[in-house]
Amino acid sequence: MSDGPILIVDDDAFVRTLLREMLAEQGHQLREAENGHDALSLEGPPPRVVLLDLFMPEMSGMEALALIRERWPGTRVLVISSMDSERLVDEALAAGASGYITKPFHPMEIASAVERALDS
Amino acid sequence: MPEYWIGDVEGRVLGPVSLDVVQDLVNTGRLTEITRVSRDGRNWGTPSGFPEVMTLLVNAPSPDTLLQSERHEATRVREQLRAMQGRPPHEIFRLDRNASVDAYRNAFFKLVKRFYPDRVRAQAHPDLRKAYADAFQFLSRLMVHIEKELAAGSGVSPLPVVRAVPPPAPGEDEPLTPIPAPPPQMARPLTVVPRSMTPIPRPSPLPRPSPLVPPAPDGSYSYQPHEFVGFERREDRVEVTIRVTTRNSRMFTDHPLANLKTDGFFLACAKSLPLGTLVDVIFRFEEEHREVRSRGRVILENTGGDPTRPSGFGVRFITLVDQDRRFMLQFVEKAAAH
Repeated sequence: MSDGPILIVDDDAFVRTLLREMLAEQGHQLREAENGHDALSLEGPPPRVVLLDLFMPEMSGMEALALIRERWPGTRVLVISSMDSERLVDEALAAGASGYITKPFHPMEIASAVERALDS
Repeated sequence: MPEYWIGDVEGRVLGPVSLDVVQDLVNTGRLTEITRVSRDGRNWGTPSGFPEVMTLLVNAPSPDTLLQSERHEATRVREQLRAMQGRPPHEIFRLDRNASVDAYRNAFFKLVKRFYPDRVRAQAHPDLRKAYADAFQFLSRLMVHIEKELAAGSGVSPLPVVRAVPPPAPGEDEPLTPIPAPPPQMARPLTVVPRSMTPIPRPSPLPRPSPLVPPAPDGSYSYQPHEFVGFERREDRVEVTIRVTTRNSRMFTDHPLANLKTDGFFLACAKSLPLGTLVDVIFRFEEEHREVRSRGRVILENTGGDPTRPSGFGVRFITLVDQDRRFMLQFVEKAAAH
């Protein structure tokens, strides 16, 4: 687990690129997927942290969250979504997310949240 | 708890979520184009087949109701801003007096995003847009101030008030700002065929900036809205499609400020775009049978004011995949050798 990558799951290539470039600069090993299906079909060591969008084609983020928790129980999942209903935050946290960051996000905010997730 | 899956026009799916969440998202305008609904994530139907969902959609606030509530919200935000000005920062962020800079940052991000300028819908009341912008600017300046004071090892003092928000006169409501015509709803496609450029001296190589907005040289951020990313808004973008050949490849090299080495390009064309415009660029490399997509922002324009340079506009990439950048650099080198 300590060698696992950070996995970025978002259907928006723009967001994936930004997250990848930013986290790579901090020395993190990264993988990415366009949706939950692709994320769950990745081989290799379990990701230490997953940055997960909620509103995606193929498989919703909430469904992916449940399956990620089942397949990789030790993995921390940070939801990153523009859907900022407080009740949705509660439901995502109840489903096993470790954190919920609303879009738009600031680079420092993501960096800080990832560090906290890695330390916890 | 009842569970719902919601699909939109782009094929994206949200669920399972409660009906309460769907109601929140519909009422705040975050879900506007529901095309299908499901109760199990497998069997889908149109929204009309789900009366409880249709009720939410039908009862969504009307445009007039939204404008009225936005005006009230603007008044409330201005009052909140007046209350914040001059107060100790730890009280604004509800922190301990000796809170760390990380604690301030976390609290700042939670609070400031409520006022992010693009959170208001395109047709929002202008008073609300202004109130959000003012609150965002105040909090951004306050955070920079906090970081400077903590870095200097001193306690955090209130931000000096530059221009306090004046309260409305007693018994008077806030003045109503006229509502301008709404902007276009969709990205405006613009296909551009570049004209030949006037030869100008080749620029000296410049360091390539990060595609993310980099912090200032001292490592600090200014926390301005453009430093925040990931908020989906298609209506404020322009889609630019450019056919690239070896003959017009100098769009990537000739301008001293907007060239591939500074993560940009300059497009010589009759149609310019205003500074700051967000552009989705599609480069069609016809000879190479390759398409490159990127996103950028207009950083300079010449509408004829500078006769020594061609008219057109310069774009700085916000995002460009490394593999595509390498391909473009190779293409430019090959074109220069011709």
